[in-house]
Amino acid sequence: MNRTRAFLKKTAWALFTIIFVIILNFFLFRVLPGDPARAGIRDPRLKKEAIEMLRVRFGLDKPVINCFESLNPIQVGSCAVNPFDTQFFIYVRNLVQGELGISYHTNRPVTDILAERLWNTVLLIGAGQILSIIFGVALGIFAAWKARTSIDYLAVGSSLVAWSLPTFWLGIILLFWGSAHGFPLAGKATPGMSSMPLLQQWGDIARHMFLPTLTYTIVYMGEYTLIMRSSLMDVLSEDYILTAKAKGLNAFQILKDHALKNAMLPLVTVIAINLGFTVAGAIQIEAVFSWPGLGSAIYEAVVRRDFPVLQGAFLLIAVAVILANLIADLTYNFLDPRVQTE
Amino acid sequence: MKRKALYIFLLFALLLSACGGGGQAAVVRIGWAGSPDTLNPGMAILTEAYTVFELVYDSMYDLNLDGSFTLSLAESVDVSDDGLVYTYKIRDGIKWHDGEDLTAEDIAYTYNLYKDTPEYPYLNGYYTPYFDSIVANGNEVVLTLTEAIPNIESQLVFLYVLPKHIWENENKLEFENTAMIGSGPFKMAEYVQNEFVRLTANKEYFSTPPKIDEVVFQTFENQDALVQAIKTGQLDMVTEMPNTAAETLKAEDNVEVVVGAPLAPGVTDIIFNQVDPENCPTDAGGLCTGHPALRDRNVRLAMAHATDKQKLIDLILLGLGNPGLTLIPDGLGVWYNDSIQDYEFDVAKANQILDDAGYADANGDGVRELPDGSRPLTFRLNWPSDSINAPRMAELLSEMWAEIGITLELQAVDPDALTAQCCPAFDFDIMIWGWASDPDPSALLYVYTTEAIPSGSSETGYSNPAYDELYAKQQTTLDFEARKDMVWDMQKIVHDDVVYIIPFYDANVQAYRTDRFTGWITDQAKVELSDVTSLLVIEPVK
Repeated sequence: MNRTRAFLKKTAWALFTIIFVIILNFFLFRVLPGDPARAGIRDPRLKKEAIEMLRVRFGLDKPVINCFESLNPIQVGSCAVNPFDTQFFIYVRNLVQGELGISYHTNRPVTDILAERLWNTVLLIGAGQILSIIFGVALGIFAAWKARTSIDYLAVGSSLVAWSLPTFWLGIILLFWGSAHGFPLAGKATPGMSSMPLLQQWGDIARHMFLPTLTYTIVYMGEYTLIMRSSLMDVLSEDYILTAKAKGLNAFQILKDHALKNAMLPLVTVIAINLGFTVAGAIQIEAVFSWPGLGSAIYEAVVRRDFPVLQGAFLLIAVAVILANLIADLTYNFLDPRVQTE
Repeated sequence: MKRKALYIFLLFALLLSACGGGGQAAVVRIGWAGSPDTLNPGMAILTEAYTVFELVYDSMYDLNLDGSFTLSLAESVDVSDDGLVYTYKIRDGIKWHDGEDLTAEDIAYTYNLYKDTPEYPYLNGYYTPYFDSIVANGNEVVLTLTEAIPNIESQLVFLYVLPKHIWENENKLEFENTAMIGSGPFKMAEYVQNEFVRLTANKEYFSTPPKIDEVVFQTFENQDALVQAIKTGQLDMVTEMPNTAAETLKAEDNVEVVVGAPLAPGVTDIIFNQVDPENCPTDAGGLCTGHPALRDRNVRLAMAHATDKQKLIDLILLGLGNPGLTLIPDGLGVWYNDSIQDYEFDVAKANQILDDAGYADANGDGVRELPDGSRPLTFRLNWPSDSINAPRMAELLSEMWAEIGITLELQAVDPDALTAQCCPAFDFDIMIWGWASDPDPSALLYVYTTEAIPSGSSETGYSNPAYDELYAKQQTTLDFEARKDMVWDMQKIVHDDVVYIIPFYDANVQAYRTDRFTGWITDQAKVELSDVTSLLVIEPVK
């Protein structure tokens, strides 16, 4: 009973947050200066009519919302306009229908663009996450078990260094190193690979993924190692671990049955939050390696004032982060029964 | 044992992919920093899109690197005596990439499409303001104009001819055109936006077919990677690079760096708001808040004398650029008036001009005031925040003009906001911006006209009836030499009036690998290795 109520409450909050993001998303870009219909076009022979046509095409000729023609500069308009004929309502209606609009810049449906980019990002960052979790956790456990030995100091030291490395800097260094060893410098696939057998295509993508994934893994592994180590060391200092040792259990048994379960809690939170951000991509890594992911799409959309793409991408990220948090919240209930009673 | 076999197989597959699809086909790999915005020619804006159109489509004329035009789809043209009717005889036997015949019908359809689609930001209203009617008549296209114009070639050169049998069934605005059936020397093979464009040679091309088999344009978001890629041989050519990389690349074996005017020559301009209050386009949203001193030619002249263009070129472009005169760049060849003597860099002279005109520093704070003492010569200087060069230039100008008692308030402004501030609002003092030029000078000459003030094209608010008259006249002068003289005179007028200071004309800095392909065209005024002119003639190094 209690559990169901907590679940419902948390889900309701998540929904509420998403609705808030949807509204904020719309107004956030409308208060920016400038006219998106003119962004990127500056030419003596561009007729006023052509600009007007673009505005009509993108629905920018309609009032932003009742009482306001535009938000920057603020122009008060009639409050009596049909609310269904305002930019805000059209945006919401399209969203409900699963439509994210048409990109001003590329003239393509935003859903197509985001779907393409999302897959690329999940591929890259997903691989990086999994590898960094596996290696980070393993190294963290090892360091905690060998606490205050030179192995531990080495692990902690290198993790700290890795975690504090600027991602783009490490990326460029690896890029230069990799290019001398035959790794591709940009993109996700070699042009022309699509006619090759599937296995070769995968091999090609793997080659392209190697350097960016390595960069991501090095940086994030540090974070996981440090959290895992300190959390496990806390647990290892508990009396029941001493008891377990006294019972004559070996290291593996102590870790597996007694320590790790409790030490995992903080890590789950961090992993869940990071997984949420996986969707946002790592803008820096994508920029350094020209990886066509969501992060670089957002960057381009900002430069081009491509509001529909920005709105769509922000919504996607917000939903991903909120969902990841919700899942973390709910898993917590199962991992740690104490959370429930609160 | 079985597992081991699988590993070996995987390793083999990886090795194969590393070799990259065999060594027989001559594939030119080009790296660039962008990607086409769309392959629908009507909707496209970015240069990268036009680069692809040039390779995949044909148009009535080809633009040569020296700025001249030659007939392409037509074998001959007949012009009526009044200059209003052009009859093009279309070549026989030209085929679309899907095997259909290209006919006069396709051309008439395409021109009417551009003419009747006002939503097309560029090609409508841009190249077709003089079209009255376009009719296909057998193998002839009859183009009737509303008035006789001297530059029909540049009006038609970017109007890419599209296959009617495909386009008539599509939504003209939303059609993504990724299959891109054209008639040009290259066929669209594969396109992934923001990743690559892969084109294969059209060996049946009616003119000279390409000697290479394939061209690949690959997007590099990171310019260091772009430079590294040509160094390590992952690319055969790069269309751009930071000027800082030019020196290091020059030192590489097997890499040749070339510098020259781009196909669409670029101008960087320092814009003075000199709009006369009487000309302020209040109906179009004009605010006209410019500093009154900038309306005085003496002040602008003094600033021109105090501007060390060579220093700007050396420090900002690392020497890769030419000092500028007017908005008409040297890359326009015959249209560029090279007889104009620029204002020499002479700070003493600049100070003298301001002294003589009555701009004294009465209160001794190092800044001159208006002759009536009411306002110091403190100007706002803005530039688009996405510009890489402008911040450096602003700093340098600030130092240079401080020598003549002028101070600047520097501020980068978001490009959209700057457009709103610029024209026709005239809500600024000085701005740094730029233009890219058409092959014909008319478009940029229009920027100086009085007519352009309310339309938002005039950035300076400059108004000179003598100039306006010449502009109108050259628009309808069919005699080439006579028109050229007028265009030269117009440049002289605006240079004399110091409407702008043009610090430099931008240069294209490109590089290619000498050990892969040979025959790149580098001996012309314009340098554009990714243009069809080079890609048709290069061949693999034996």
